[in-house]
Amino acid sequence: MIRSALLISLLVATLSTAFAVGLGSAAGWLLARRAFPGRELVDALLSLPLVLPPTVTGYYLLLILGRRGWLGDLAIPFTLGACVIAATVMAFPLVVRAARVAFEEIDPRQRLAAFSLGHGSGSTFWQVELPLARRGLAAGAALGFARALGEFGATLMLAGNIPGRTQTLPLAIYEAAMTGENAVALALCLALTAVSVVVLLFVGRLGRGRA
Amino acid sequence: MSTLTADIRVTRGGFSLEAAFSAPPGITTVVGVSGAGKSTLLLALLGDKSPASGRIGLGDRTLFDGKSGIDVPVHERRIGIVFQDALLFPHLDARRNVAFGMMGGDRPEAWLERVGAVSLAARRPADLSGGERQRVALARALAARPEALLLDEPFSALDPAARSSLGTLLVALQREAGVPFLHVTHDPGEALRVGDRTIALDRGRVVAQGRTTDLLSGSLRRIAGIGSDNWLRGTVLADGSDGTRVDLGGTVVATARLHRAAGEVVVLALPAEDVLLARGEIHGTSARNVLAGEVVSLDAADEGVDVVVATPVRLRARVTRAAVSELALVPGARVWLLVKASAFRAAD
Repeated sequence: MIRSALLISLLVATLSTAFAVGLGSAAGWLLARRAFPGRELVDALLSLPLVLPPTVTGYYLLLILGRRGWLGDLAIPFTLGACVIAATVMAFPLVVRAARVAFEEIDPRQRLAAFSLGHGSGSTFWQVELPLARRGLAAGAALGFARALGEFGATLMLAGNIPGRTQTLPLAIYEAAMTGENAVALALCLALTAVSVVVLLFVGRLGRGRA
Repeated sequence: MSTLTADIRVTRGGFSLEAAFSAPPGITTVVGVSGAGKSTLLLALLGDKSPASGRIGLGDRTLFDGKSGIDVPVHERRIGIVFQDALLFPHLDARRNVAFGMMGGDRPEAWLERVGAVSLAARRPADLSGGERQRVALARALAARPEALLLDEPFSALDPAARSSLGTLLVALQREAGVPFLHVTHDPGEALRVGDRTIALDRGRVVAQGRTTDLLSGSLRRIAGIGSDNWLRGTVLADGSDGTRVDLGGTVVATARLHRAAGEVVVLALPAEDVLLARGEIHGTSARNVLAGEVVSLDAADEGVDVVVATPVRLRARVTRAAVSELALVPGARVWLLVKASAFRAAD
């Protein structure tokens, strides 16, 4: 139980961080670089999962993706995919915020300099903007990873709590504590703490590292 | 060779810039006080700010044409830019900065060598001095083989020695590249040292343009807030204990000792009030410079009249209105100018 929960948690956190960083970087870049009507409203909506109770976010996800959801039956609930979706949605706002700040901190004339040297938007993004934003993006990724790792409420709503299938570390801890398996709960807590410490060390190193 | 031409109207907030000029191969300096529209002009030429109307051309290419809707994007204009703060890519070393926009089979080292920065190839921008960064920025911009180069006060944050040596480098690089350089500066000495032509901007309008040495210093003073009536560029002929002789380009003058080696380029300032004017040739004067010339024009000045005299180098002498009529000063009149050696001041 300890092993499968740890593996599920690491897998879910890794996948959801990858998705959140990919989509969040794009969204952060758009928010930083493009002035469009309703930009701040979009920013606020994207940040909602940060302030809503996770169970509320989870319930919305169930409404959209559930068996009789708005998108039809996609057979998502109670799968590992549901865990990943829930964790991605919860990690996403943190990554978007970090990405927006990281891109906004780049002098817009850097883009102009790259353009003047014959590079188009795409090449400038990959060769100039992304490398210059990488510290901010990595910090966002680390925070998103931690958020995904600790995700409980939304995951419970969308993915349930099926040992060996959708039971992540936080859910396993809850179950162990409720059923009086204190040694198991403690072991799971220590495992989660250890992973969190590693993430914190990683973030700290980024903060001290050179640009 | 390609010439950069523009006849554009650009609006930016409540500010509007109307500029019509052409910059042939060579260094064209753009002077004007802050707020005159220098930066707006550069951004419009670069393609970052679309003009409301008009046309920009480079050689036989049209980069912008309001009527036919042509607006070539920045990365296809082939116009380079060097910013005041160099703005190198901080995550790349000097060599990779230069390689970033490089065309053809050049080696970045060759470009770094041209700007005297080959020893800095492996350094990141954070480890370079201001002058070194500008050298690398020049190499980076030129390695992309632009058809025109814009320079936005690139040397203004540097100390006078670095400014002077980079000015010399800039002239050499332009001669090699053979494309128009548009060099924004608020330093008249620099404009005269490097500029072949000058465009003076004032409140969004081009108020004067022409060969830098011909451009009347009086108007530059009014426009650019530059503190002298006569700005002169010359080459030191001899420098000794009894003073320095400077060739201004057809007119040789004696100045107080400048402590410059023969062959060095100097920029001299001369107040119009310090130039005396006579209708006949004067002998036996303590003034070290007696220059024969012809009146070109008469400009009303704040106090009196500025008489512009071709010696052949044009000098401004300020006289009273009464003197103008008494001496019958009209364009074409033959006159002699008297200037004390100590009236000349070296600008840098």
